[in-house]
Order: sequence, then structure tokens, then C-alpha cells
Amino acid sequence: MKILTVCGMGFGTSLMLKMFIQDLLKELNIKADTDVSDLGSVRGSQADLIVAPSDMKTHLVDLSIPVIFIENLIDKREIRSKVAPVLKQLHETAGGA
Amino acid sequence: MLDFIVAVLSNPAVIVGLVAMVGLIALRKSFSDTLKGTLKTTLGFLILSGGAGIIVGALIPFSTLFQQAFHLTGVVAEDNALVAAVGKFLGRETALIMVFAFIINLVLARLTPFKYVFLTGHMMWSFAGTMAIALDQMGMKGWPLILTGAVIEGVSMVAFPAISQSTVRRVTNSDEVAFGFWGSSWITLAGWVGKPFGNPKKSTEDVKVPAGLDFFRDMAVFMGLVMVIIYVVTAVAAGPAAGAKVAGGQNYLFFAVLQALTFVAGVLVLLQGVRMFLAEIIPAFRGIAEKLVPGARPALDVPIFYPYAPVAVTIGFIAALVGSLLATVLTRYIAPVVVLPSVIGMFFMGAAAGVFGNALGGRRAAVVAGFFLGLTWPLLVAYSYPLVDFTKYGVQGLAFASPDAMIVLILMRLVGKVFGV
Repeated sequence: MKILTVCGMGFGTSLMLKMFIQDLLKELNIKADTDVSDLGSVRGSQADLIVAPSDMKTHLVDLSIPVIFIENLIDKREIRSKVAPVLKQLHETAGGA
Repeated sequence: MLDFIVAVLSNPAVIVGLVAMVGLIALRKSFSDTLKGTLKTTLGFLILSGGAGIIVGALIPFSTLFQQAFHLTGVVAEDNALVAAVGKFLGRETALIMVFAFIINLVLARLTPFKYVFLTGHMMWSFAGTMAIALDQMGMKGWPLILTGAVIEGVSMVAFPAISQSTVRRVTNSDEVAFGFWGSSWITLAGWVGKPFGNPKKSTEDVKVPAGLDFFRDMAVFMGLVMVIIYVVTAVAAGPAAGAKVAGGQNYLFFAVLQALTFVAGVLVLLQGVRMFLAEIIPAFRGIAEKLVPGARPALDVPIFYPYAPVAVTIGFIAALVGSLLATVLTRYIAPVVVLPSVIGMFFMGAAAGVFGNALGGRRAAVVAGFFLGLTWPLLVAYSYPLVDFTKYGVQGLAFASPDAMIVLILMRLVGKVFGV
């Protein structure tokens, strides 16, 4: 399983989101790869789930990969409540792999 | 043998790899994670240097054409490219300043009331490079240079977030995070300049913005368009004779387009390198900071503010772009160098100025804040440019971009003047 976080340049906000998600994965005891991307390169990337700031909605709504949009990037509760259920679900459908 | 070891350990790519390794080991990561992280950090640094080489290569013919067309020096303000380009001369110093500055930041956060931990990696690196360049020009060398640079950067890493924090509270309605970005002072100032012009009740977020207007979020596309325009206008102004000489037999307009796109490609390579270089080091820094200074406020990159007012992001950017186009014309007449419009700078800072302006004084303040930032930033770039002689490092056409770092640079040169350096 691979989770991709996105921001404009691919090393500021996306890296912060990636670190939150790594904490979350540890907490849920799920193993997954996490990586960062800039907005321009998302379309060429492989992932099972994308997490992005909500102000990028217009650029990412038509992707075939599920995308979670985060409104408040510093609100860990929002990130947890939106991302955790999807992580658990992906983890189960992948048969724990 | 000792010489060989010293040479290996002085290589900046090796230094950053080792830093990542020590960080990952300290966090008790597995062997494979540590190996992966160390290698990716080193590779990232090498990629970044490669990108800088491409950028410098694409700027040389441009600078020549610009000189012939306008009899002036034109510069692109981009810190990452500049610091990477100077890496051949000061790469070791830059890498070590970054590491020691982080340690000083942790000590200050632990011992003083300034509980900020600066976590925006590319900014830590570019500031370290700025310090290395500034101190090198002031005649310092080796460890005195590294330690002086680290102290100045470490103090800046808590001082600048502290300056903007009261305004950040008004923008985010929370006190959990701080502003860790070397444009924070100028963005905050822009917000306050905008404030008296507006009414905080009339928010930008009630304005309907046409959906297609945020196409500039895709940096590569937008920067590509702007750079092609800049290069072609310059080539046309230089004329076919001068153009042909630089283009070496190719059609000179086609050559200009290709060089403009090569410049953008160089920036993309550079950013990919920055991405790989930071992806391991920053989580390691954060892990160490959380252990040593629990409860400190992380100072984070500028885009954390955008979701507070997405419309203000667009408005602030456009206002800043208009301001900076005016400033480009203005610098042509009053400043030592012409500062070319910077897409990256205007987007990241202009957008934030819009958000800050909106939080303090509504939509009109957002417009004024963006415009003020766009108009004044190139002046700051132009007037701090002569403080450093880049030709010494074989670099032309690049200039410093971060307002906070430029303010520190100007202060350093002033203090240096007093002491006769």
C-alpha cells in the first residue's frame, strides 16, 4: 500500500502531511509506504491513496485514485478522522499485505 | 590516508547523508530504513546539484542577451538554485551551518521562552547557504565561518517565527503552529500595510472567482510560460545578430524558447533533488525535536495558511504579480539590477500576503497586501544584490530571494562595516 501526499512544491506541506500520516499508520499498526509529490507530478505517480490540501480540489478531482482533501492542515483531528477510516479499509481489502 | 578521509567527510553530499544517518539511528529506525534514508538523502543532494548546473547553463546565454539588449544586468531571484550553484565552493560550510543551526534552535527552544522549532527544510538549507556566502565575502573561513553562520541562523530560526506569531494567531485563530518561512516578516508587514484600506467583515471568501483562474497552481506550466516570454522578449530586443552569436547557428528565437524551457527543467530537477534530500532529514529532525523539546511550536512552511482563505490566495497572487511587473520596470530605472518577475516568489509570498491581508482587513486589504509585497520585494532583491559578488563563484543571473535572509544579510554587512570588514 502506498500513500502519496501532495502540495505545490512537494516538500513543504506535503512533507508535513506525510509525517502526520506516518504517525497515524504507526498508531493503527498498519504498514504502508508514504511519499511526497508536487502538484504537477501527481498524474505520473502510482499510489493507493492521495492526501492533499483542499485548495487543490479543482486539480485533483478527476483522478482514478481516491483523494482525501484536508481543509485545515494543522488540525491533526481532521486529518485523523478523514484518513484513518480509509487506511483501515484499504488495509483490510489488501488482506493485510 | 588522512587527507582522503578529510576529503570524503568534507563532501557536502556525504555530510548530509551522514546527518540523515545519525538522525535515523538516534530515532532507532530499522537497518533497512536507515540505509534507504541515508542513500536517498545523498542522492537527493547530488540531484539538486545537477539541477543547479542546468539552471546556471541556461542562464548564461540569457544574461549575455539581456546585457546586449538593455545594457543592464537582469537577475532571477531564486535561493535554492543560487545556493546549489555556489555549493561547489561552500557546500561543506552550508551543510554544517544547517546542522549546527538546528542544534542551536533546539537549545534556544529548550532554554528560552521562544519555543519554536523551525522545520521548513529547504529554507534551513538556503539560509545556511546565504550565511556561508555572506561570511565568505566578509573574509571568514572554516570553523569560525560555520559557527558564526550557525549562530545567526539558529537565532533567526526562533526570532522570525516570534515576530510573526501574534499575526499568525489572528490568521489561524490558534496558537499551535508558527510561521517558518523566510518571507514571514515581509508577508506580515504586507498584511498590516493592507489593513487600514479595508474592512475585515468584507472577506475575500465571499467573492466568486472563476474556476479556471487557479491554473497557476501547476508551477511547471506557469513558470514555463513566463520564462519563454522573458527569454523571447529579451532575444527579440537583442536582435538577430547578437542572437545568432549566442545561439551558435541555431535559429535564435527557437534557441531562446529552448533555453527558457531548459531553465524550467533545471528548476524541476533541482526541486526533485530538494524533495529527496529533505524527505528523510526533516522527519528525523522532527523526531529529535519532539524528544528534546516536547511541546515546542513547529514553525512550518507558508502553504499551511492557504486553506484559511483560498480566494485570497488567488487574489493575493495576482495583485503581487501586477506589483512585481511594475517593480521590474521600476528597477530598470532606479536600481542596480533589473529583477525579473519571479513566479515562485510571487505565488508563495503573494498568496500568503493575500491571506494575511484578508484576515486583518478583508478583501481590499488582501489586494493591497499582495500588491505591496509584489512591488517592494524586487526592490529588496535589487538593493541587496550588490552586497555580494557572485562572479567569484562563476554564477551570473541569480540573486537572493528570501526577504528575512536579505534583511539579515543587510544587517550583517552593516555590522561588518562598523568593524571594518
